[in-house]
Amino acid sequence: MILKCFILVFAFLLSACAASGVREVTQNPQFPRQHELTETPFFPQELYHCGPAALATALNAVEMDVSPDQLVPEVYIPSRKGSLQIEMLAAARRHGALAVKIEPELGAVLKEIEAGNVVLVMQNLGLSWAPSWHYAVVVGYDLDKELIWLRSGTFERFEMSLSAFQRTWARSKYWAFVALKPGDLPASDEVEAVISALISYEKTAGAAKAKVAYAAAAKRWPDNLVLLTGLGNSNFVTGDLTGAASVFRKATSAHSDSAVAYNNLANVLLAQGDVLAAKESAEKAMRLADNNQMLKSQIQKTIDEINAYSVKK
Amino acid sequence: MNFVKRLFSTFLAASILFTGSIQTVQAAMISAEQVAESSITSQGNQDRTLIVAALSREDVQSALVARGIDPAQAKDRVAALTDEEASVVASQLDTAPVGGIIGAIVLVFLVLLLTDILGFTKIFPFTRSVR
Repeated sequence: MILKCFILVFAFLLSACAASGVREVTQNPQFPRQHELTETPFFPQELYHCGPAALATALNAVEMDVSPDQLVPEVYIPSRKGSLQIEMLAAARRHGALAVKIEPELGAVLKEIEAGNVVLVMQNLGLSWAPSWHYAVVVGYDLDKELIWLRSGTFERFEMSLSAFQRTWARSKYWAFVALKPGDLPASDEVEAVISALISYEKTAGAAKAKVAYAAAAKRWPDNLVLLTGLGNSNFVTGDLTGAASVFRKATSAHSDSAVAYNNLANVLLAQGDVLAAKESAEKAMRLADNNQMLKSQIQKTIDEINAYSVKK
Repeated sequence: MNFVKRLFSTFLAASILFTGSIQTVQAAMISAEQVAESSITSQGNQDRTLIVAALSREDVQSALVARGIDPAQAKDRVAALTDEEASVVASQLDTAPVGGIIGAIVLVFLVLLLTDILGFTKIFPFTRSVR
C-alpha cells in the first residue's frame, strides 16, 4: 500500500514535466500543427529485424523497390542481433538513395515530415543501462495532441507521445536520416550534411546518379566549392565536357584562389583539345597551390599530361 | 618483433594504397572529397586516416565474417562503406549500438512498465504515457 502511494506520488511529480525540446516545437508557429505521410508503405519486422524493416520502409517510400528480406544480408549482424547505424546508411546508398543525416533536434524531424520525407530514427526504447535499440520510421505528428506516429516493429501506426519519443530518441544521440531520390534534397539547410552524404554517395551510386544529386545541391548552394567540384567531375566522367567546363569556369570565378578549380578546368580544357588554355589554367593552379605539396604533385600530373599531349601532336 | 611487423605492414599498406590511387585516378582531376577534407583536416591527418582505413579493411572483413555474416556478403557490405566508415566499423563492431527490439530485456516488468507510463521508455506497446 505504501509502495503504491509512493509510486503514484512519484508518477505525479514526474508527469508534470515534458521532455526538453518538446515545448520548443509545440509552441513554434513555424510548423503546421499536424501532418502525416499516410501513403508510406509498411513492412512488419520479424524478430530482431527492425533495421531491414525500417530501411525497406524508408526506401520504398521513395519508390525504391526493395524488401526487408533482401536487406537482411546487407545490414543484419547475426551475432549482435541487430544492425549497425553505419551499415544502414551504406545500404541505403547501395540501393540508390542519398542518405542524409539530419540535425539532432525534434524540429528537424518535423521539418522533413512537413516536406514529405519520412525520417528513419534510432531509438533506445529501454534505459541507458539496459538498452533496447530499435530502428523505426517517423511518418507523422500532431502538435496539439503532442503525438508522433511511426512505422515501428510490427505496428503499422505506432503512436508515441512527443515526450516519450524525444527521450527514447535522445539515447541514440538523436540519430536520424532521410533517404532521398537522387536530385532531391532534405528540407533542412545543413550544407555540410548534404556534402558528406554526396561524397559517400558518389562512390557507390555511379557518376550518372551522382551528377543528378550534385546538380540539385549545387543549384541550392551555388557557390559551394565542394559541390561545384563534385558536379564538374561527374559531368566530366559522364562525358559532358561542355557542362564540366562551364561548372569549373564558374568555380574559378567564385573561388579565384582555388587551385583545385583551375586544375580541374585545365583537365577539361585538355580533354576538349584546347591545349593553350589548359596549360594557362594549370599554371595558374600551380601558382595558387602555394606550398601544399600534395596539391602541387597532382597539378604537376595535369601539366605532364598537357605536355605529353602537345608532344603527341 | 610485433612492432617491426606492424611497422612493415603499415609501410606496405601505404605503398600499395598510393600506387593504387595513382593508377586509378581519373585523369588528374581532384575529387570533391579531397576538397571537402582539406577544408576540415590537415594533410597529416588525411594520410593517417587513409592508412588506418586501408589497414582496417581486412579487419572489418574478418570481423564481419566472425560474426556470422556470409563472406561474399561481407565483401559487398564493406565495399558499400566509405574508408572512414570502414575504420569506424572496425573499431566499434562490438560496442556500437545495434537496433534489435528485444535486446537484453531481462528486467523487472514493473520497472519498465512504470518508466513506460512516465514516458521515459517505450517497451510495451499497450502503455500510454501520462505525458
